[in-house]
Amino acid sequence: MYSIILAGLILTSARELTLEAAQSAGSARTVNSRPSNRELPFAQTKKLLDSRNDREILEGLRKVISMMYRSKPCLPFFSAVIKNVASPNIEIKKLVYIYLLHYAESEPDLALLSINTIQKSLSDQSPQVRAMALRVMSGIKVPVISQIVSLGIKKGCADMSPYVRKAAALAIPKCYRLDPNTLPQLLDYLSILLGDKQYYVVGAAVNAFLEVCPDRMDLIHKHYRGLVRKLVDMDEWGQLATLNLLIVYARKCFPIRTKKVKKNKSKGFYEDEASEQEDEYSGEEVQVLHPDLELFLKACKPLLSSRNSAVIVSTARCFLHLGTSEYIDAAIGPLVALLRSPLDIQQVAMNNLVAVCLVRAESFVKYAGHFLVRATDPPDVSRSKFEILTLIFPHCEPHMKEMILSELEHFTRAADTALVQESVRAIGRCAQNESTASMRCLRLLLDQLSSQDGGLVADSLTVIRHLIQQNPQAHVQTVIRLAKNLDTTTNSEARASIVWLVGEFSGLPEEDNIAPDVLRILAKGFADESEAAKLQIVLLAAKVYLHYLIRTSPPQTEALANAPSTQTVEEASIQISAPAEENGWQDTYPLPSTDQPATEPEKDSTHPIPLLWTYVLHLTRYDTSYDLRDRTRLYRALLSDPHSTQLASLLLLAPKPVPHTPSPSENRKDLLIGSSSLVIGVEAAGIDGVMGYEGLPEWVKEGEEPDAKLRDEVGGKEAHGEKKDMPAARELDKAIEKKGLGKIGVGGAKDKTLDDWLAEEEGSEEGSTEEETESESEEESSEDEESESEGGEEGDRLVN
Amino acid sequence: MLSNAVEALYIFDQHNESILEHVYRSRPASARVVLPLYLAQPVPRPSLIYMPNINPPTVLFSVIHNSLLFLSPVSTETEPLFVLEFLHRVIDILEEFIGDPLLATKIEGNYDVVAQLLGEMCDAGSVCNTEPNALRDDVDVSGFLGKLLGGVGLPGSSPALLPSGGLKQQLSLNPISNGPAIPWRRANVRHTSNELYVDIVETLSVTLAPSGRPLAAFANGSIAFTSKISGVPDLLLTLSASGGKLGMEKSIELPVFHPCVRLARWKERPGELSFVPPDGKFMLAGYEVNLMPSNLDLKAWSNTNLQLPVSIEVSKSLGLTGADFEVRLILSSNFPGASTSASASRPNLGTRGSGRSTPIFGSSASGPTLQDVVITIPIPKAVRNITDLRASRGEAYFTPADNVVDWRVPTKDAAAAGNATLRCTIVGPTTDNDEDEAISFSFDAVNGGYDKKEETYQSSGLDNSKKSSVKVQNQSRDQRKIQQNSPLMPSSASVSFSVKGWLASGIRVEGLVLDTRKSRGLGEGVKPYKGVKYLTVSKKGVETRC
Repeated sequence: MYSIILAGLILTSARELTLEAAQSAGSARTVNSRPSNRELPFAQTKKLLDSRNDREILEGLRKVISMMYRSKPCLPFFSAVIKNVASPNIEIKKLVYIYLLHYAESEPDLALLSINTIQKSLSDQSPQVRAMALRVMSGIKVPVISQIVSLGIKKGCADMSPYVRKAAALAIPKCYRLDPNTLPQLLDYLSILLGDKQYYVVGAAVNAFLEVCPDRMDLIHKHYRGLVRKLVDMDEWGQLATLNLLIVYARKCFPIRTKKVKKNKSKGFYEDEASEQEDEYSGEEVQVLHPDLELFLKACKPLLSSRNSAVIVSTARCFLHLGTSEYIDAAIGPLVALLRSPLDIQQVAMNNLVAVCLVRAESFVKYAGHFLVRATDPPDVSRSKFEILTLIFPHCEPHMKEMILSELEHFTRAADTALVQESVRAIGRCAQNESTASMRCLRLLLDQLSSQDGGLVADSLTVIRHLIQQNPQAHVQTVIRLAKNLDTTTNSEARASIVWLVGEFSGLPEEDNIAPDVLRILAKGFADESEAAKLQIVLLAAKVYLHYLIRTSPPQTEALANAPSTQTVEEASIQISAPAEENGWQDTYPLPSTDQPATEPEKDSTHPIPLLWTYVLHLTRYDTSYDLRDRTRLYRALLSDPHSTQLASLLLLAPKPVPHTPSPSENRKDLLIGSSSLVIGVEAAGIDGVMGYEGLPEWVKEGEEPDAKLRDEVGGKEAHGEKKDMPAARELDKAIEKKGLGKIGVGGAKDKTLDDWLAEEEGSEEGSTEEETESESEEESSEDEESESEGGEEGDRLVN
Repeated sequence: MLSNAVEALYIFDQHNESILEHVYRSRPASARVVLPLYLAQPVPRPSLIYMPNINPPTVLFSVIHNSLLFLSPVSTETEPLFVLEFLHRVIDILEEFIGDPLLATKIEGNYDVVAQLLGEMCDAGSVCNTEPNALRDDVDVSGFLGKLLGGVGLPGSSPALLPSGGLKQQLSLNPISNGPAIPWRRANVRHTSNELYVDIVETLSVTLAPSGRPLAAFANGSIAFTSKISGVPDLLLTLSASGGKLGMEKSIELPVFHPCVRLARWKERPGELSFVPPDGKFMLAGYEVNLMPSNLDLKAWSNTNLQLPVSIEVSKSLGLTGADFEVRLILSSNFPGASTSASASRPNLGTRGSGRSTPIFGSSASGPTLQDVVITIPIPKAVRNITDLRASRGEAYFTPADNVVDWRVPTKDAAAAGNATLRCTIVGPTTDNDEDEAISFSFDAVNGGYDKKEETYQSSGLDNSKKSSVKVQNQSRDQRKIQQNSPLMPSSASVSFSVKGWLASGIRVEGLVLDTRKSRGLGEGVKPYKGVKYLTVSKKGVETRC
């Protein structure tokens, strides 16, 4: 959102860009030589660094930093640069630190020389210098100093300035990576920092916790409520870390509880007492939230209007995995709003949207308009949009369904074949999820068959085949219509599909049965068919012949009928339903039934079906494809004995399982939303996701959760935390009051969290004397006198 | 558990040459390794690419900005949006510190500033500080840039430059020792001229059915705010939409806010943004307005149109062989809601006439002006060429590389309103035409055999008796050609334009008040200059299906 619009606003920038483009086009390959005029020889740079003049040293350092980024060797400057570490000039210090962080690893011994000076800076009077020193010291990747770093962190934890404490928190994981043995000390520091009054210190501490010891949930208990309270005020990165921590914490500490809730059924007009009694038992199971969990979820809600897309998705993840459906619904709108973001974020957001949609499609219905595919959408976005449209399809109102179908239909005419394929499949999914729409979908798909595009026809046919298989009885006429398409369809896959379908319906009674005739026509052009189609033609021939055999030897068939009973049942039902569906197609089709007189079994040799069968066998015997010849041999062997068709019918006429195409992202359902693994998908990343991926822990079992009392912040401690929970706004007030700047408006704004302050509640809860004490004591951080006065306010704040 | 960390940041210029490599932690795949793999992806390259076959297996995130490529490899599970948001924040901050637009030369010329920024923003992989104001306190911007940024009256970045004097000294040191009072606003802001600017930009996203009926119409708005004001101001920005307070609640949907905005106040009174702004330019809020009434009103809606200053109609499969298509552009100088706050697009809401802007604002333009009208028509890849681009106004080009027809229509001249048409003829693939011939022969039922028919075709001019059948044949051939050309027809067309001084949603800034009671550090009686700008843009945003 940010950059795009800012760029759009500044129209002058476009001009500058073109100038740059022109310039770079002129000097097309000289990009690297561009800054060369500014480069100095080694000796000269070194002289600058050795200078006594701050300005010259700075100049020299800038050169070195530029060389560093340009991957020029600047290790030779190491000692010259490092000796400036003691410079009192903060600008020089910063640049030296940057250099040191980059190269310390390659010159550990020389780097150690600077440690002493840095350590001194830890006691500098400027918090900025202290924080910087701590950051650099912990960032130097020389393991021997781990103890010094640990001590530095300890000092930092107790620092007055939150700025330094934040640096201390950030240093903890670095120290841990330096030397994992320091963990016990680090845990102590962490425990202190997690309870810090400053939300941005806490954010960094949570981050450190996640890196150092994500399993030590016991450290969190007493800070849980504090974390929840500070969540809103943290910066976005702190919020992200805290959400990640608390979602796991909640899973591990709040057992899922359900209770039966009496359905609040609105009484029908004529309903009497009798039904009321029933209601009590048919109550719905409703998840009951633990009060502490609810506290967390409520604190998350404001995060949904964050400008940071990652925060929104993380919040949605918490709601999805912890909250009730109302919470999930609340997150859907903000998730949809991510489609306003730049394209790169949109791509990721769409994946998450699909994952949520798989769980709660019904809540996406009102946002259907957002998922219309635009010509500018990249392929993966449009694919996800189609998927969402198909997922919400069963939940839509009729006019919306119509819109979705015409949307999908529009894209079957698109130029991009991938898009066409997606849309055809989407239509198929719409149809299978919703039987009432399936006729309309089928019509849409049948329209596609006349297309010039072979691929589209093949895709549509596959989908049609699936639809027909779901409900074969209703589609006898469809198959006839499909068979007519054999005249024009050239795509081999498509032809194969049609032939197979015709074969599936070859068991119909003779007056409806087009299979033998289709076979007759196909056999004529057999030589020109593709291999895929030939295979299906042979199969069709085998099926037709088998049905003929079964029909012509009634006594045997009946004996057989008991074996594959399902098949006969299905057949029977087809036979029953078929005659009922007379319509135009059948009449126009040149049914060859007149050519096929009802033949007796004894006329075997002259009946067209055995003749056809032998003809096809002959054709295939001399085919080039060994696969085809092989199959044919199999069928011939199966059907060699006209009196034993049992095995053949088991093989050829077995009932086919109804295909069900799951939504393409169905297999990603178990991956956490917001994770990389979700975007990459199971196919690419494997079931376990990308390295380091971990799913959420299961809900803790009732009775195994840690005692809720652990989360109670004990008396004095609570007050302490409370007092120290000094929000920005209050600090601001304080600063101003102290300076005597703003005399107005300070009255009631004393003891509020940032949220309160923002909420602008004017009511002053405290007398002015109270304010005095508070502001004085802030710096000394004395707790005793405030503990009493603060105790009662916990409640207020929780509500906020 | 997900723990997020940025491992490295690589920046490449427009020639894909590395201009910056900053490694934050561990040993991520180097820029030299990931770049070729990134470039190997087909062109709309995804923002997240998984590379399992390099060491370590890497997820590569990418953002392109001003033809600069930003890459960030990550070797363990990380939230994609975390990395992408970070990259965007890096871009924003670099733009703010070393100049907008961000160019390769600027980065190369300011490596020291960039190094400090990158170090401050992310400490060994943990993103820690992305507030421009807070960074301004920490990062030294020297020389020319410093002057440029520092502006007038801003405190210098190094402590030595701080004004001396007991009270002031204390004031200036305080925020650092106690941490910044407000994380997003730097301390001690001083401006000699106090100015406030509100820029509301709405980006249209409209999809129209072939009939012209809107399927979905949204305006994605964002409010950019520029605050150059001393001390700690407390501002109240009031927005209004047609239909008063209720309309506000209805129209602004799914808002996102800068952290400075008081959410409770917004919830209580939608349309009121109360905040203490950061210094400088920032995005105050983003929102969305559904330009179509809710589903309930859909039936009443059916015929009334969405009032846009530009609309297009496409008719295709024209001409004898169906190889032509025509785009008709309808420009109107009618900007609903421009003169009155009542927007014609929401007829069910009450009208409420009022002036364009309240007197306190420097009103910008005399009336909304339509600019930069470009129609883009994506053409199927199968089309070989487009001949005969006949535009009644403006110029049209076909770019075979991108398969689009771009048609620019000037709006500067007096006749801003009115219609314009563009007619194009497509040339399909050659092979298809031959096939067409073949098909037409083999399928001709009237004349029986193949050979015989070919004869008739050639001798058609001579033999009178067969003329009629030839006519039929030609007709059916045209029919087939039309059918054959139909997949070559464009399936959509979109318009880009911008309108200054008009918002599609009808939202307006009702007032911008500086609460002197709550603000601090602003001198007595200082009246900041306030400016409001409205802009509606469509970047291929109005799409007509056909």
